[in-house]
Amino acid sequence: MQGSDHSIVRAVLAGDKDAYGALVRANSAAVFRVAYRIAGNEADAEEIVQETFLRAYQRLEKFEQRSAFGTWIYRIAVNCALSRMGRPEIDAEFRHGEESDPEARTVQVATQDADPERLLLGREVSAAQEIAMKRLTATERCAFVLRHLEERSMGEIAEVLGVAPNAAKQAVFRAVQKLRRELAPLRGNA
Amino acid sequence: MKHLSEEEQLDIYYEEGSESAQAHLKACRECAAEYAKFKRSLDAIKPEQVPLKGSDYGEQVWERLQSQLVPYERKASGWRSLTNWISWRAAVVAVGCAVLLAAAFVGGRFWEHLNSKRQSDTAANAQPQQRVVVVVLTDHLDRTERLLVQLNHANSADKAENAQLQSEARELLASNRLYRVSASNEGDPALAGALDRLERVLAEIANDPHLTSADLDRVRSDMNTSGILFEVRVLLARKPNQESGPTSAKGVSI
Repeated sequence: MQGSDHSIVRAVLAGDKDAYGALVRANSAAVFRVAYRIAGNEADAEEIVQETFLRAYQRLEKFEQRSAFGTWIYRIAVNCALSRMGRPEIDAEFRHGEESDPEARTVQVATQDADPERLLLGREVSAAQEIAMKRLTATERCAFVLRHLEERSMGEIAEVLGVAPNAAKQAVFRAVQKLRRELAPLRGNA
Repeated sequence: MKHLSEEEQLDIYYEEGSESAQAHLKACRECAAEYAKFKRSLDAIKPEQVPLKGSDYGEQVWERLQSQLVPYERKASGWRSLTNWISWRAAVVAVGCAVLLAAAFVGGRFWEHLNSKRQSDTAANAQPQQRVVVVVLTDHLDRTERLLVQLNHANSADKAENAQLQSEARELLASNRLYRVSASNEGDPALAGALDRLERVLAEIANDPHLTSADLDRVRSDMNTSGILFEVRVLLARKPNQESGPTSAKGVSI
């Protein structure tokens, strides 16, 4: 697969624009998944997907043939998501939402009784988790998503974020601390 | 006993904990209880349900994307193609120059070699040729000298001797003409003049159908054969010296 990816990249660089379509089709789902997990919503994730493939196309000459295209595009996707999440207007939007909706911090408790109640509670837990995730900084959120949800190693996370491994580890640790603190009411009543 | 920090618990959770931390977790009930709570809290954070995308999602992304992409060929038609073209031309010019330089060098060496060979050949050939000419001319002058001596002391009454003298004169006349012309062409007026005077004597003897003693006396006196003989002897004395000297190029070539 890696060999065919490289031959496709060579074809694209030789002027066959349509050959890039094969790489887009093969990697769109994976890019969307990580984009959605970092961005937290579908609209942003879609934009990140478009931006990722566009940026990759523009930098295709820098693609190192020794790495897999899937790994390379994944890193670009994380960077696109990170820069999008780090944008001030997005942070302001999150803060604005947080201040205007104090009730959002109120978390209902789950019980293991009736199914409809559990379903409702499940949704509330998800909402609380989403809110807690949005309170993280872009780097913390990104590092946590990569470590906890995407199960990437600390080395990979450090490389993607462009930081030292220890800094990446600290980002994950801070994210965990914040999330545990935010979600503590759920645990206490669970 | 120092209990596990939250950071160490996190390392254990992600299976990156040290051996000592793992050992402590097994030995310490407090830490084990703390870690169980820690683990529960992290386990509760489940991946968000990513919206399902159909199998044609990649195609949709590509359709939205392809209009924004500029083919690399077209991109290359700008500055990059110009630099490529320049670099190609520069490379071709450089290679051309190198080939020309090499050809000039090799040609020069070959020409020099050829020239020096030709010069040495010419020099080598000229020397024997000059030597041959001098030998042949000397031989001619020797024979002429003998003829003139014979003429000066000829017995007019002996017809057989006269006939032999006439025959010898005929033979020498033809070659003498050739030497005279060559000497004249070579710019040797002294030799050409002497040979001219000699030619006239030879012609008188050779062309007389009935050579008599009176004819011989007339030739001897009118044409001053003794003076011509002296000239011939001077020429004979001069020729060997010319051969060895730097001006030996002056002479007769046939």
